[in-house]
Amino acid sequence: MSTVDAIRAEWTKLRTVVSTPWLVLTAVAAIVGIGAAVTAARDTRGCPTPSTCFEDLPKLSVTGAQYGQIAVVVLAVLILSDEYGTRSITASLAAVPRRWMLYLSKIAVLTAVVAVAGSIGVLASLFVARRILPGNGFNTVNGYRELSLGDEPTLRAVYGTVLYLALVALLSYGVTAVLRDTAGSIATMLVLLYAAPILTRVIDDPVWLRRIDRMSPMSAGLKIQATTALESLSIGPWQGLGVLALWAAGALLAGLLALHLRDA
Amino acid sequence: MTESSPPGDGVTIEVRGLRKQYRSVTAVDDLSFTVEPGMVTGFVGPNGAGKSTTMRIILGLDAADGGTALIGGRPYRTLPRPLRTVGALLDAAAVHPGRSARNHLLWLARSNAIPRRRVEEVLDLAGLASVAKRTVGGFSLGMRQRLGIAAALLGDPAVVIFDEPINGLDLEGIQWIRGLLRSLAADGRAVLISSHLMSELQDTADHLLVIGRGRLLADTSVRALVATASGDRVTVRTTMRAEAMTVLSDVGATVAVTDGETVTVTGLPAERVIELLTRNGVTFTGVAAHRASLEEAYMELTRDAVEFGAATTREGRDAR
Amino acid sequence: MTTGRPGFGRLLLSEWTKLRTVRRWTIALLAAPVLTVLVGVQFAVSTEPGSPDSMLAGPDGTWVQDRFHFVHRPLTGDGTVTTQVASTTLDIRVPERDGGEARARDVERPGWTKAGLMLKDGLRPGAPYAAVMVTAGHGVRLQSNFTTDIGGPATGAPTWLRLTRAGSTVSAWQSADGAAWTPVGTVTVPGLPQTVEVGPFVTSPDAVLLQRQFGSLFSMPYQTYTTAVFERTALVSGEPGSGEPPNGWQDHEVNDLAGAQDPPPGTGTGGKQRPSGSPPAEWAGDRLTLTGTGDVAPHTPREDLVKQSLTGVYVGLIAVVAVAVLFVTAEYRRGMLRTTYTATPGRGRVLAAKAMVIGAVAFVIGLVASVVTLLLTGPILREHGFLPPVYPDWSLGDATVLRAVVGSAAVLAAVAVFGLALGAVLRRAAGAVATVIVLIILPQLLASGLPASAGRWLMRLTPGAGFTIQQTRPHYEQITQTCLPEDGCVYDQPWAGFAVVCAYALVTTAVAMWLLRRRDV
Repeated sequence: MSTVDAIRAEWTKLRTVVSTPWLVLTAVAAIVGIGAAVTAARDTRGCPTPSTCFEDLPKLSVTGAQYGQIAVVVLAVLILSDEYGTRSITASLAAVPRRWMLYLSKIAVLTAVVAVAGSIGVLASLFVARRILPGNGFNTVNGYRELSLGDEPTLRAVYGTVLYLALVALLSYGVTAVLRDTAGSIATMLVLLYAAPILTRVIDDPVWLRRIDRMSPMSAGLKIQATTALESLSIGPWQGLGVLALWAAGALLAGLLALHLRDA
Repeated sequence: MTESSPPGDGVTIEVRGLRKQYRSVTAVDDLSFTVEPGMVTGFVGPNGAGKSTTMRIILGLDAADGGTALIGGRPYRTLPRPLRTVGALLDAAAVHPGRSARNHLLWLARSNAIPRRRVEEVLDLAGLASVAKRTVGGFSLGMRQRLGIAAALLGDPAVVIFDEPINGLDLEGIQWIRGLLRSLAADGRAVLISSHLMSELQDTADHLLVIGRGRLLADTSVRALVATASGDRVTVRTTMRAEAMTVLSDVGATVAVTDGETVTVTGLPAERVIELLTRNGVTFTGVAAHRASLEEAYMELTRDAVEFGAATTREGRDAR
Repeated sequence: MTTGRPGFGRLLLSEWTKLRTVRRWTIALLAAPVLTVLVGVQFAVSTEPGSPDSMLAGPDGTWVQDRFHFVHRPLTGDGTVTTQVASTTLDIRVPERDGGEARARDVERPGWTKAGLMLKDGLRPGAPYAAVMVTAGHGVRLQSNFTTDIGGPATGAPTWLRLTRAGSTVSAWQSADGAAWTPVGTVTVPGLPQTVEVGPFVTSPDAVLLQRQFGSLFSMPYQTYTTAVFERTALVSGEPGSGEPPNGWQDHEVNDLAGAQDPPPGTGTGGKQRPSGSPPAEWAGDRLTLTGTGDVAPHTPREDLVKQSLTGVYVGLIAVVAVAVLFVTAEYRRGMLRTTYTATPGRGRVLAAKAMVIGAVAFVIGLVASVVTLLLTGPILREHGFLPPVYPDWSLGDATVLRAVVGSAAVLAAVAVFGLALGAVLRRAAGAVATVIVLIILPQLLASGLPASAGRWLMRLTPGAGFTIQQTRPHYEQITQTCLPEDGCVYDQPWAGFAVVCAYALVTTAVAMWLLRRRDV
C-alpha cells in the first residue's frame, strides 16, 4: 500500500511547514471576511422596490471565494515549487520513485486540504450571510427566502464553490509542475484567472464578452455559484465548472508529462 | 526483493553501458561497473566527470539516454519501498529550510512505511538528537550533511550511496563518517561514495572507480591502482647517456632524456636497471626509484579527463 | 563616489548583467509587452461605439449637447440685457416601474440646472453663445461656447443677472438688488454676427439614479424640468423700440435631439426616455415663467479609448512584478546575497542599484508596450466607427495621450520597484508576488461589490490608483459625470493616483533599506 504511504508522507510534509496553516487561514478568512463585507454592503435600498432586486443571494454570500482563491493558488503552487526551489524534490523522488505516485499523492493531499478549508469558508460565509441579509431588507417581508442548504440551487452553489476552489488548486498545481518556479507559477495563475474579468470590464461587444466569459477558467468556473437567471448566463453552472475542469485536467496532464519526461 | 532487505544479502549496484547527454555535453559515456556488497567503493573523478549524474541516474532522478543501472537486479524506480533498499545522500543542502530535522526524517519515514522510532534512532546515530526540533534553515553545512546521512540510513538499506559526504564536515565529523562507512561495509552493505579528491578515499575505500569526462578510467582495488602506478619510474644519473639508453631500450624499457646527465626509465624496476647497467659496464653516479602515491596514480589516470582548471592542474603536476 | 568602494555605475552594470542573464526572466519580461499589446488589440477588435442620441459638434468641434428653452429677441450690434431670476424649482419624476416616489429621494439631483440670460448666434443647436446663469449647486456662472465656464458669486435665486455685448466681447454681472452690480467675468465669443438672439433661458440636465438589480449597478438618467420665474426682463440696445414683454419676445425650444432618430430598441442608453417637450412660456405682465429641460454643455463619451486600450498594462504588470520580486528573492534563496554583499558591502546601495535597474527596465517595457498598443488600436478603433466629434482624433503627440503613455511606463516602473522592495522585506517570492498583485488587481474587482464610497477609497489607497494617469478624457467642471470607481474613475486628477503608487514604492524601499541594515544576511 505504498500509495497510502506516499499520501501520508505528503501530508506530513504539508503540515510541517509554517506557510501551510497561514495560507489555509488566509483562504478561510478571505472567503468569509470579504464575503461578509460584500454581503453587508448589499441592501434592498438601491433597488427600484425592495422586492425587485433580483439579487442572487446564495451567489452573493459566497462571493469571497473569488478572493480567497488566491491563497489557494499560492498553497497549490508552493506544495510543488518549494520542492524545486529547495531542490528537496530529489529526496521526494528518491523516496517515492514512481513519479505518478508522488504527483497523485500531492494532488490527494492538496485537494483534501483545499476541500476542507473551502468547505469551512463557504459554510461560514453562508451562515454569516443568513445573519446579515434579513437586516438589509432581504427578508420574507420583501419576498426573499432565507438561505438554506435545503434549497437545491443553494446547495449546488455552496458545494460547487468548494469544487471550484479544488479545481483552481489543481490547475495551479499542474501549471507549477510545468513551470517549477514559485513566482512564475503564481504570476501565470493570476493572469489566467484575472485577465478575463479585467478584459471584460472594458470591452462591450456582446459576442466577445460571451466568448471570453465562457472560456476563462475563473468566469466560467464561478457560474456554479449562480442560482437565478440561469438562462441569461453565457454558460450553464455545471458546464462552466466543466470548462474549469478541462483547464485543470489539461494542466495536470501537462504537469505529469513534464514530471515524467524531464529530469528532476 | 523482500519488504526490507536485511544487510548482507548481497545487493549490488550494476551499471551497464550508461550514457547521458546534456545538450552538447556528454556527461556519462558508456559507463559500466558493479558495486559489490561488503566493501566501500570509492567513486572518484575530477569535478564534472559525471559522478553525480551517474548517481542521479542510479536513483532514477535523471533518465539515461542509454544503458541500465540496476539495484539488486531491478531499476530503482521499480523498488516498492526504495528507502529500505537504497539510502542516498546527494545534496545535503536540498532540504526545505522551514521544516525541523525530525519532521524532515518523519515524512521520509512515512513515505516508505518505516516505523517512527527509526527516526529517533538515526537522529541519535547522526548526533542530531539535540537539534531535532530546530528548523533546517539554521543548520550549518556539517549539520545538514549529518541530517542527509541520517536520512540515508533511515530505511536500514542494503545499499548506501553518498555523494561527497565529507564536504563541510569538521575533523571529528570526518573521523565519524569514515568509521560509519567501514562499519556499514562490514555489515555486508554495498557502499558507494564519491569524491573529487583521492586523498579523501585513500584510507576508506576498498575498491575504486575512477571516472573522467564520463568514461570509466579504472575499476580496481586501491592496492592494485597503487601498484600499477608505482615503481615504474627510475631516474639514472650518468655521463654515459647514450650507452645507458641503448642498454635499457634493448630490454624493452622506455627511456627519456630528462637533462644532460639524467635519463628517466619506465617499465623496469630499479634493481633491474642497476643490474643491467652494471652488467654492460655503464657507469652511473646515481639511481633513484620514484614510488607514485595513489594521488599520483589518480592524476596520471585523469590527466586528460580534467574538465575544469586543466591548466593549473597540469602546472601543479609539472612542478612536482 | 567614495574611493575604495566599487563605483555605483559599476554596481548598476553588474545588477543589469544579473537581470538579463537569467533566461526565464528575459522570457517573462518579453511576455509583459506582448500580453499588454494582445489585451489592447483584443479590446479594440471587440468594441463598437454606442449610438449616441446626438453627434452635435460645438464651435470648436467638441461633442456637445444643446437643449434649452429660450425666450428671445434679436439684438443688432452692442447692447445689454437684464433680468431678475426670482425663483427656480426642480421637478424630477421617477417612473413607477423604477420605484416611483419611494426612490425619488435617492436620485442625485443635478447641480447644474441653468436659468439665466443667453446671447446666441441664432437658434441652431451648437451655434456660438455666451450666457450668465444661476445654477442649483454652483452659484452664478458665465459660460460660453460649451467649454468655457467662469465662476461668479455663490448665490442662488432670487438674483439679478446682466449680460452686455460689445463686439465679440460679452460681459456678465450679478446683483442682489438690481442696483449694485458685481462683475462675473468677460468672455470673447469669436465670430458673433452683427445680429444675435438674446433673452432668458432655462435648461435642466438629467438626474441620475443608481439602480441595483440582478447584482449589478445601473445608472439611470431621468429627465428633469426646471421652472424659473424671470421678472423685469429688459433689453437695452442701440436700436430703439425695444418692446415691453411679451411684445417682440419669441418662445423657442432649442433642441439638438429634435431631429434625431429613436435609437433601435435594446441598444445604448438603457432606461433613458425620449425627452419630451417643455410647456410654452407664460407671461404675466413682465413676469415670465419658463420651464426647460436638457443641457448646454460639453458631452463626454463614456469610453476613454486610450485608457481602455492600455488595459493590458494590468496584465503585463503581473509578469514584471514576478521578475522584480525574483530579482531580489532569488538572491536570498540561493545564498547568493552573501556573494553580492561580499562583492559590494553597501547593502542599501545594492538595493538602490537593483531598484534603478528593474525600474528602468520596467519603464522601457511599459513605454514600448503602450506605444505599440496605441499604434495598433488607434486605426482599429477608427475603423470600428469611433470618430469625431464623439471620439476626437488623437495621436501619440497629444499632451494627454503622451501623459497616458509615459505615465503607464512610469506606473509600471513604480510597481516594479514596489515589488522588488517588498521582495526584500518579505524575502519570500510567493508572498511578495501575491501581495503586490492582490493590492493592484483585486480592488478593481472588489470595488463593485462594496458601497460606492468604500470602493472609491479602496481604489484610491491601493497602488492601482496609479493607472488614473492613463485618463485622457477631458474633465469638465460644468457637468456631472456619473462614473463609478470600478470603471476607472478614482481620481479626477491624473497625477494624484500616480503619487499614490510612487508612495508605495518609496515607503517600501525605505523599509527594505532599514531592514537590510538591521538584518543578518
